[in-house]
Amino acid sequence: MLRLTLAVARKDLLLTLARGNGLVQALLLGFLLFFVFSLSQGIGEHTSPQGAATIFWLSSTFCHVLIFSQLYALEEVNNARLGLLLLPAPIQAVWLGKSIAGFSLLLMAQAVFLPVAIVFLGQNLSGALLPALLILLLVDTGLCALGSLLGALQGQGARESLMSIVLFPLLVPLLLAGISVGSQAFGTLSPDGPGMWLKLACAFDAVFLAAGLLLFGFLYAGDE
Amino acid sequence: MLEMQGIAKFYGDKAVLENISCSFTAGSISLLIGGNGAGKSTLVRIMAGLSRPSAGTARFTGEAASSRSRRTGYLGHATFLYPGLTALENLRFWSDAGGMDLGEDDLLAVLGRVGLAPCARERAGVFSRGMAQRLNLARVLMPDPDMLLLDEPGTGLDAASRVFLHQEVLAARARGACVVLVSHDVAADAPLADRILLLDNRKLAFDGSPSDYDAAVRAEGEPCCA
Repeated sequence: MLRLTLAVARKDLLLTLARGNGLVQALLLGFLLFFVFSLSQGIGEHTSPQGAATIFWLSSTFCHVLIFSQLYALEEVNNARLGLLLLPAPIQAVWLGKSIAGFSLLLMAQAVFLPVAIVFLGQNLSGALLPALLILLLVDTGLCALGSLLGALQGQGARESLMSIVLFPLLVPLLLAGISVGSQAFGTLSPDGPGMWLKLACAFDAVFLAAGLLLFGFLYAGDE
Repeated sequence: MLEMQGIAKFYGDKAVLENISCSFTAGSISLLIGGNGAGKSTLVRIMAGLSRPSAGTARFTGEAASSRSRRTGYLGHATFLYPGLTALENLRFWSDAGGMDLGEDDLLAVLGRVGLAPCARERAGVFSRGMAQRLNLARVLMPDPDMLLLDEPGTGLDAASRVFLHQEVLAARARGACVVLVSHDVAADAPLADRILLLDNRKLAFDGSPSDYDAAVRAEGEPCCA
């Protein structure tokens, strides 16, 4: 299973970063969001830390949807999905491999979004950075576990349109955690601290990872 | 090796296959023929475990055809290739994904077998249909599969590649693999086969040796849709 996982992740990263359009589309969408929201500020005004964290996670979420659509579309060009289904390994390895590739790509996009948030939205990283880094990794894990699961619906007609309808409501708790701890990193003082949000993100990660392992085989199937 | 009992397949109300029962043994080549829309590709996909039958069972020496514990080489109408990867990278991916320990020299040797070694570092996206099919053949043959399902493998191949294909099919049988070959070119492929199966009107219309098939053709005329 590990070999298939690593093979899928390596192939997806190679095709996306070196042979395809890379993250251009996803990054442009993120930039657009930051730019449009920056226009809502008056001259000399700054977006609140909570607002900036919200825009950061909104950009990350849209970016992650594009990333997983792109990753699963790779298998639809010459129907390589069927080839993956025939491999003598658990098909969950494909879900895990795509999750790892998507996680890496999302982190790369966020490495660009963070300085953009600081510059365009007038933020500075004056709060606790370690919890912010932890929540970034935890929220990204959940986003990618679920994104990879629902990305499997790519190329399945009407079921594909369910992706965004199902995805966004499920992600709300994780995004709330990301926004809350992110705003603390941008300087908002919170009496409760990040502890509760970190635990919540861990719990949702566990649920989404388990759901991915259990359900992927049903979603990523042959011609029916 | 593979036993199919009462296989039927419906897409909505439309029947594609009805009550197909047959078995396939190791070390044999079966030629599956029939007209367009006869259900050949559907039957092969059921054998591969890529499609579930609406009724009946397909079992692989005791395990379901969809089981992942065996090695099946399936060559269908799509090539399963990634156009953005080179020929070598495509083979490396399928080799790694399939759990094979093949180094670059081994992979180049596999490409050499299908005459693609000089194009090893060219992207599959620029290959002609015939070259893509040869690369697809290399992908299928690379793991020495126990079951080789070839759905019109001659599509796009030139004469030399067809000779190579025939040699590989015979080598697979000699190795003990069970080969099912779907073809419209009965005259060219029948000499390879131990057995011919004719699908007609959604049913198995003939199942016998090539000599019996020839006798049936002589007695009743060329099957209209083969």
